[in-house]
Amino acid sequence: MAFLTKLAFKNLVRHRNRTIFTSIIIAMAIVIYIFFDSLIGGMTELSYETIIDYESGHLQVMAEGYWEEEDELPLDYLITVDEDLLAEVKNLPGYKASLAELSFSALLSNGIDDLPVMGKGIIPEDFLEVFALEKQFVEGEIFESGEYKAVLGKKLAELMEVGIGDYITLLVKDRNNTFNTIDVEIAGLLHTGNPNVNQNIVFLPLELARQALAVGEEASKIIIRLEDKDQAARLAGVLEFNLKKQNSELAVYSWEELEAFSFLGAAELEKQVILAIILVIAAIAIINTVILAALERMEEIGMMKALGLQNREIVYTFVLESTGIGITGGVIGVILGILTIWFLSVYGMDFEAMYGMDLASFGMPVLGKIYAVWNPRAFIEVFIFGVLVSLLASILPAYWAADKDPVESIYHH
Amino acid sequence: MALLELKGVRKIYRQGQIEVPALRGIDLKVEEGEFTTVFGPSGSGKTTMLNMIGCLDKPSSGSITFNGRELNELDKRELSIIRRFNIGFIFQSYNLIPVLTAYENVEFAIRLLNKYSNREIGERVLEILAAVGLEGMEDRRPHELSGGQKQRVAIARALVKEPKLILADEPTANLDSKTSEEVLKVMLKMNKELGTTFIFSTHDPLVMEYAQRMLEIRDGLIAVDRRREADGLSD
Repeated sequence: MAFLTKLAFKNLVRHRNRTIFTSIIIAMAIVIYIFFDSLIGGMTELSYETIIDYESGHLQVMAEGYWEEEDELPLDYLITVDEDLLAEVKNLPGYKASLAELSFSALLSNGIDDLPVMGKGIIPEDFLEVFALEKQFVEGEIFESGEYKAVLGKKLAELMEVGIGDYITLLVKDRNNTFNTIDVEIAGLLHTGNPNVNQNIVFLPLELARQALAVGEEASKIIIRLEDKDQAARLAGVLEFNLKKQNSELAVYSWEELEAFSFLGAAELEKQVILAIILVIAAIAIINTVILAALERMEEIGMMKALGLQNREIVYTFVLESTGIGITGGVIGVILGILTIWFLSVYGMDFEAMYGMDLASFGMPVLGKIYAVWNPRAFIEVFIFGVLVSLLASILPAYWAADKDPVESIYHH
Repeated sequence: MALLELKGVRKIYRQGQIEVPALRGIDLKVEEGEFTTVFGPSGSGKTTMLNMIGCLDKPSSGSITFNGRELNELDKRELSIIRRFNIGFIFQSYNLIPVLTAYENVEFAIRLLNKYSNREIGERVLEILAAVGLEGMEDRRPHELSGGQKQRVAIARALVKEPKLILADEPTANLDSKTSEEVLKVMLKMNKELGTTFIFSTHDPLVMEYAQRMLEIRDGLIAVDRRREADGLSD
């Protein structure tokens, strides 16, 4: 077998051009995978930040019943924001800021058209500390407490054909199921990487919302910003333990639990599709190479059979050769992948500049440049995958070659 | 007991509905150490017979016994084992492996036996290459060798494993007469020194001059079987 291994290696070198050509095809497929994997990784990281910075914060304190029915934005499971609760929150290690938020369903009207939206009552000073929205105002600014003003996404404003200084009306149903309206002037317009903020939410002063919804000093939740997002899951447990001593109905959720990242499911699917494409490209390249090699080496195969080699030994040399091509392609692919990812992690990829395309407008939680993320596991996985595909794809054509009639092979011209 | 015995060997090829007989009933015995040539016009069945003796093909009917074993009873794997250990081949177009040097082409055949140490293999390969006159050319690849030198490598490859039988299909067809004579002398020397049995197919009158036994095949049958005695040929 050692001699056959040597023969396979020599054949790789002898057919240098073919080896390089096939390896490059495999390498390209691998680079495409690595590129998309890191880009998806970058988008995922960015989407975490987008959701944390503009919508969820790191932790949320709410009533257990509210968590179960959050999609309905109910007014039945609100929490009372008192001094004891706030003191416990502020005592949390790694605490940075917190915000009481009252969320509700509303029908937004510009006097002509209506649109269902989510209203959020907030305290502006706390809001800007918890969410990184200060720089996301494209027009106007945040309102002050007590003002009859609102902030909404620029996209939503465009949809409703309203702008700064225009008045909008929110039709709401208060806790007693009585319809009420809130008339506010638009103070600011936001554009973020979070499509939900851009298209669905109207922010207004907390006391105004409380008054319109008849909920007293209550809020839907307290949103907390921490120093480190990676500590969120652990600190959620700590805070919940402490809060349960005050009120057993309270629960604390970290940002990972709060957001169902449907985007990640799509990304995973995309990865699988790319892997399938690599599989097909590498398999076609290898099958083509093995068949060409077999046709070229027909007399050689015949001679090997005359020397007494068995089919499996001839198959071994072809499979080893293909595996060698897979390894060469894998190494080239990984090197090119490293260079690509290095470039994209340093300089990023600006879709807006490249294609005049704002991903946030298409519902992708991304604004600005996407930076590639290093994922060593992807390099290892795709390398192994490429080599395995090369190996497996060569088995059948190698058997086809090895099973040729020895007489026909020897006298083949 | 004869090294090789063919009894009523027939080989029929099919071309669509038509049956083309290549061998029509060959009866032959070859003893160990014979230096035999098979000649006859193109299409007479020489190569077909050699392929069947060499376990590369099977007869349509009849039996072939080699070294006491009935070849018809063996499967592909067993036939490849017989080829590996007991039969050497020399072809008209040399069939050397282009990526391997002269040394490695010969080494390949002996490595397959799996019975010698690395040192023994090295010694045997160098010895046989020297015996066929290729001393100093061990590291040359086939494209760096002349036709005669390539055929010598092929002979060395066939001989290195010391098989009981060497089959040579028109080994001098691509060589000039001087080189042919040199190659034939090498094979005759090996036949005498090692007692290896040789069977050639050829059109070359020079080969026939060296042969101890001549078989003429015509229309798939052995028409003439003559042996060279010390004082000439006898039927």
